[in-house]
Amino acid sequence: MRRGLVAAFREIDATCDAIEALKKKKYDFTVYMPTPRHEIEHAVEPPMSPVRRFTLIGGLLGVTFGYWVAVWTSEYWPLVVGGKAIASWIPYTIIGFEVMVLVGALSTVAAMFINSRIPKITATTGFDPRFTHGDYGIYVEAAPERLKEAEATLRQFGAIDVRGES
Amino acid sequence: MASFAEPLRPNIASADVQLPGVRDYEQVDDDIIATLKPTKGWFAALGVAIALFLVGAAAWIYQIYWGLGNAGYEPPVMWGVYIITFVFWVGIGHAGTLISAILFLFRAGFRTTIYRCAEAMTVFAVMTAGLFPIIHIGRPWKFFWLIPYPNWRLIWPNFKSPLVWDVFAISTYLTVSSTFLYVGLIPDIAVLRDRETNPLRKKILAILSLGWRNSEPEWRHFMKMYLFLAAFSTPLVLSVHSVVSFDFAMALTPGWHATIFPPYFVAGAIFSGIGMVFTIIIPIRKFFKLEHYVTINHLDAASKLCLFTSMVVGCAYLIEFWVAWYSGVAVEQEYFWNRVFGEWWWAAWIMLTCNMIFPLSLFSQKLRRNPTWLFILSIFINIGMWFERFVIIVPSLSHEFEPWQWGGYAPSWVDVSILIGSFGWFFMWFLLFIKQLPVVAIAEVKEIIPPKLRSHARGHGLDASGHHLPYGTETPGEHD
Repeated sequence: MRRGLVAAFREIDATCDAIEALKKKKYDFTVYMPTPRHEIEHAVEPPMSPVRRFTLIGGLLGVTFGYWVAVWTSEYWPLVVGGKAIASWIPYTIIGFEVMVLVGALSTVAAMFINSRIPKITATTGFDPRFTHGDYGIYVEAAPERLKEAEATLRQFGAIDVRGES
Repeated sequence: MASFAEPLRPNIASADVQLPGVRDYEQVDDDIIATLKPTKGWFAALGVAIALFLVGAAAWIYQIYWGLGNAGYEPPVMWGVYIITFVFWVGIGHAGTLISAILFLFRAGFRTTIYRCAEAMTVFAVMTAGLFPIIHIGRPWKFFWLIPYPNWRLIWPNFKSPLVWDVFAISTYLTVSSTFLYVGLIPDIAVLRDRETNPLRKKILAILSLGWRNSEPEWRHFMKMYLFLAAFSTPLVLSVHSVVSFDFAMALTPGWHATIFPPYFVAGAIFSGIGMVFTIIIPIRKFFKLEHYVTINHLDAASKLCLFTSMVVGCAYLIEFWVAWYSGVAVEQEYFWNRVFGEWWWAAWIMLTCNMIFPLSLFSQKLRRNPTWLFILSIFINIGMWFERFVIIVPSLSHEFEPWQWGGYAPSWVDVSILIGSFGWFFMWFLLFIKQLPVVAIAEVKEIIPPKLRSHARGHGLDASGHHLPYGTETPGEHD
């Protein structure tokens, strides 16, 4: 059974050093920060966010639907004006564009929710309210026999507080 | 206040420390959360806003009961205060997304402390604007006819009509800007949740924050989402007022049928929105004691944007006259002569003075850094931009091709009451917003505060409690 440790750090460089050390020792961990900091991102070296794929697919679906609904309804109930096309793609570009933005934007937000695993029902495990205030945090998950070493590493690099989580 | 004799202050873009009066992340939380406590002044302002809203609501009910004849419409002027005010509020709604999205993509530092206010303003302004076409059609219960939905009559809206484009543009804009506002608020709501002591409020904030925890994966996806939302919102901002301008430019009416309308409307919308941002942010920074967040440097930078858009709008006004002259079309020429020297000269000169001449004062650095002047100027800009739409709509419709068709226009008390009510409705929502949710973006302000480092802990710049010492007055940036 795996257990966890929650560590709070006051300084960003201390947090980065602790992250590097935990990576070397192959621990699973989650980092918390009051605001996005590129220093931490460089230390964690996370994979690229897949949000962009959702944006692309959503935008393409939106523009397709926007054009389709305008063209299909025009053909279904034609408003015949001499010399004018029944379905005219130039004005329908406005509908296509607006629906592309709408569906693309909502898909982007949905992608953030899905990939960040929110909404979360329980927000307390492996978390401390200090991490939304001013402190940085690291939550380490490991087998019980490795926790002592993890705690020593966290304290060595400047954790001001380390507590256990089951 | 700075005088001309003093050396120039560093521009915000070159300042090493953007907010010298803010020491650390904890101070940001404490200062912004302190603004959420209701005060007597806030209750008084909310009372006034609700009273104005009720005036407008009563007038609308009266109009629904007695009919649209109670608005000041008189042939040939069948678009009046409602359409003017619709375009006015849509325009106001442009600055929010400009500041939050376009300036985000351009990495303009001065946006950080004002964008939340501008975004909320956008949502409430578009909510206000959306009411006016519904009021204008006279039978608000028929509004749904504009929306494409499957129905047993097999009838669909005409997608070649600019009014249907408007429905798509405005509803997309309202949805995307509300989403942008809400997702930007999620990390800040999490801050409020973790500081809240009232159990009921804490529960509500916990639901609204969706269990956000400031973890690295959350921030990573959040930042990517924010970038793409900004990238989508940028052309959306430009498209929405372009589409609104098509309501006019697609018609053959003199003064309307011009290809310059989309950029002219977009520039005007951004200009009016920045005017309203000043109207809102200057009292907020004073009454909420946020002068060290929304600094004079920020106002100075925003003033330059205001000056720039004013000059674009002024250029568009002058080009309209030039195009009318160069076209050789007698009706166009007559219309533009009539605009400034005819029946509606007073409205045109209010527009030209407020939008072209007064903003030139912003060439003075002293005035750009004077919040009192910026507030006064913003009121003139709001008035000038409302009259810009009046000048576009009323003189054109009252002075079309045939002299026997010419007519006049005078708003009725119902028009004026609904106009006043729209301000009450807008400010009511805004005032409710600023006491429930942070008016300055907590997480983004923290981004521009220098983080704590171990070198500080060794005695450099930290006090006994481990917090940053205040920056000295020699620190580049605002320190008034």
